[in-house]
Amino acid sequence: MIGSAPSAEARQVVRAAAQWLALMESGSANERDHAELQSWRDSHSSHEQAWQKAQLLRQRFADLPSALAMASLDRPQTSRRTVLKRAVGAVALVPAAWLISRQLPLDVWRADLRTATGEGKKVQLADGSSLQLNTASAVDIDLKNRRLKLVEGEIALKVPGTSPLTIQTHFGDVVVSQSEVCVRQGQSGCKVSVLNGTVQLQPLRGPVFSLRGGQQVSLLAAGAGNVEPFDVLAPGWRDGVLMAQNQPLGDFLRELSTYRPGILRWEPELESLRVTGSFRLEDTDRVLALLAASLPLEVHSRTRYWVTLLPRKNIV
Amino acid sequence: MPTGQTFHDLYRDHRGWLESWLRRRMSNGHDAADLSQDTFVRLLASSQRIADLQEPRAYLATVGKRLLTNFYKRRSLEQAYLSALALLPEDCVPSPEQRWILLETLQALDELLDGLPRPVRRAFLWSQLEGLGYQEIAERLQVSERTIKRYMAQAYEHCLLVGL
Repeated sequence: MIGSAPSAEARQVVRAAAQWLALMESGSANERDHAELQSWRDSHSSHEQAWQKAQLLRQRFADLPSALAMASLDRPQTSRRTVLKRAVGAVALVPAAWLISRQLPLDVWRADLRTATGEGKKVQLADGSSLQLNTASAVDIDLKNRRLKLVEGEIALKVPGTSPLTIQTHFGDVVVSQSEVCVRQGQSGCKVSVLNGTVQLQPLRGPVFSLRGGQQVSLLAAGAGNVEPFDVLAPGWRDGVLMAQNQPLGDFLRELSTYRPGILRWEPELESLRVTGSFRLEDTDRVLALLAASLPLEVHSRTRYWVTLLPRKNIV
Repeated sequence: MPTGQTFHDLYRDHRGWLESWLRRRMSNGHDAADLSQDTFVRLLASSQRIADLQEPRAYLATVGKRLLTNFYKRRSLEQAYLSALALLPEDCVPSPEQRWILLETLQALDELLDGLPRPVRRAFLWSQLEGLGYQEIAERLQVSERTIKRYMAQAYEHCLLVGL
């Protein structure tokens, strides 16, 4: 605020107005209170002004659409980091129990870690680095030689220190220090996305190059693909969330099925429906139910482990 | 030897430093550049005499930190707002113009409420936005109705004082 601080008298008047208002709104004011308020307002023009200002303030709030205003003004308090990571999608605002419940310290220098389908894991390494495993992933850790071997699946690694850790994949090496990176290994290639800082990449063919925060690249058998930008702020599996922005349903379901034990099938005509939203990974049955609620499809479960999605018939 | 330095000297010598200082704390280079400009603008507008500035970087960092905090508050409000918009049924979604005006209003009110303790802020919002009675708010917050009355008076006083 520009200008001098309000005088002691002005403060006093404001305080009185605030207390009157709180009393009136409490529902416990009696006739005498009303009369006293009236005489307070009448006794000085500054009193009446403060009272009118207070009414204007109430009006400002009363004019707002309450649901939107409530969600915005009463949002959970956030650290800067979580602000950065969050994007559209209210489900992302809930902490991911999916990962937190499995957080464990790992004070060993060598370990082979593995997650089952639908499982996530987060561990603190003995050197202060933190490692997160996505669904159906496996990694061998050898801190003595500062190497991690990504056997399958996807990991996120954050190395705060200057001593580099090398992630070895089937398609090249990723050297991480004072940076944070996501590496996803597939059949035909490996996707490297830098969340923070800079990492060095050594593809199977071609020169070493570096990749900055907000950039991603695919390493293939033939060498590195094109460097592309991506949104580091979008919530993802590390937050226990699967995001879709106008994504073909087929692609979405293929991704979802990696988090779901058992068989998930769908009719080809569903393939091109579009999905938008963020979905919590810890309950994929619920994700399917949400899809059925918003898209013209039905979920048929023979058992929990054998689910087929069919077009919904007779839609008006 | 800071004696006699001008705004120009300051800008020339420290703008790059400030921008990289901010960039390390932000994910987006454009935002860092904007905030660094804002910081210098604040300095120009303030009563601080530039020629007397002994530790320009410490000063710039202090102002920059404050702007950064505000920036993140605004950003978190925007995100909460967008999330809430996305959850509205289609026929309740305001027009793009209304959406923008509403966001600006919310930002102003957010700043107005800034500094209030969390339970006070909540009680106030429940009362003003959802029209809850003191008794109901008291139950939700598990405090007495008297406390709610005190909270409400505190919130009104705070908002009216900021508006003075």
